[in-house]
Amino acid sequence: MSSTRNGRVQTGIQDLDRMLHGGFMKGDSVLLAGSAGTGKTTIGLQYLLQGVTHGEAGIYLTFEELPDQLYRDAGNFGWDLRKLEEENKLKVICTSPDVLMEPNGLEAILASPVKEMNARRIVVDSLSHFNMFMRPESLRMQVYRNVMYFKTKGLSSILIWEASQSIGSSFSISEEGISFLTDCIVLLKLIEIDSTLRRGVVIMKMRGSQHDNKLREYEITPTGVRVSGSFENYEGLMGGTPTRAASEKFAELFSKAAKGKGK
Amino acid sequence: MVPSLEGKELLERLLSSESKGELLMLFHKNPGIIDSIEGVARRIGKGKDQIESDVKDFIDLGLFNTVTAGKMVLISFSKEKDKEIQDTVTRYIKGGPK
Repeated sequence: MSSTRNGRVQTGIQDLDRMLHGGFMKGDSVLLAGSAGTGKTTIGLQYLLQGVTHGEAGIYLTFEELPDQLYRDAGNFGWDLRKLEEENKLKVICTSPDVLMEPNGLEAILASPVKEMNARRIVVDSLSHFNMFMRPESLRMQVYRNVMYFKTKGLSSILIWEASQSIGSSFSISEEGISFLTDCIVLLKLIEIDSTLRRGVVIMKMRGSQHDNKLREYEITPTGVRVSGSFENYEGLMGGTPTRAASEKFAELFSKAAKGKGK
Repeated sequence: MVPSLEGKELLERLLSSESKGELLMLFHKNPGIIDSIEGVARRIGKGKDQIESDVKDFIDLGLFNTVTAGKMVLISFSKEKDKEIQDTVTRYIKGGPK
């Protein structure tokens, strides 16, 4: 059974797939943007594992986090990456961003594993590391080269972007102008509500497809990421200053008043 | 390549410097590293010059594979050669010095 149905590549996160009307479009490059602690790596791994489960090998390309650390973190979710590597279904590759900046860097790193495993999915963690080595205009060119290489090789890709966000502030995906280079943008956001940190996901763009426009809450559970519902009773979430919707405020005041009358 | 070394010589060569020990640990834990010598050096908190000769020795032993990317030489770990070396060293240790 394939996890690619009707030209859609499923993520392994059921309700996220619903938000995407079935999954990402096959062969597309997806920008997964979020600040630290939003679960970007977990979603990336879940996406690859979904492929592996359905016969599509995948590559996790990391610049900073050592594979050993990734094996350990994945193990906490019950995912045995080493075993999948032994079975030639997954490969974790660790390199430096400047290697990919060399003219045949991508080919030198990826040609062999893509061919050997017939890989169909790739996660790059993260594009933000190119920032250390190049100017914004060069970064755009680098991202473009990566995206085109993945498309040529028939890889559906998730490109992770470490976006800056301070709690209670608004959010910018990327000041480097790379958003337009990707086919789809999934934004992850930390939201403070009633002194509790919660997580929200929204599909900001999806070329050639309808998608859910709502910001939905998700949780990082012991078995992976799970989208749990929408923030029905709040407004201003994207701006970073959520407030209860007027109807909710009214209901609360009404309830208080009713209680007061009963005394 | 030096494929036919005796266990004792192999063991001495593998552990002839602190950097070699650190490189072995790094690649055993992280066999998926494919990086420039400079990049590998960064991952063990050293400079390129400090590990260059040790890396060259591991390339000669066949423990590291190389591939070129532009001006860079990238190194990766040969699991097959590592197993072969480990078997030779294990046989030597079990059998004692000859």
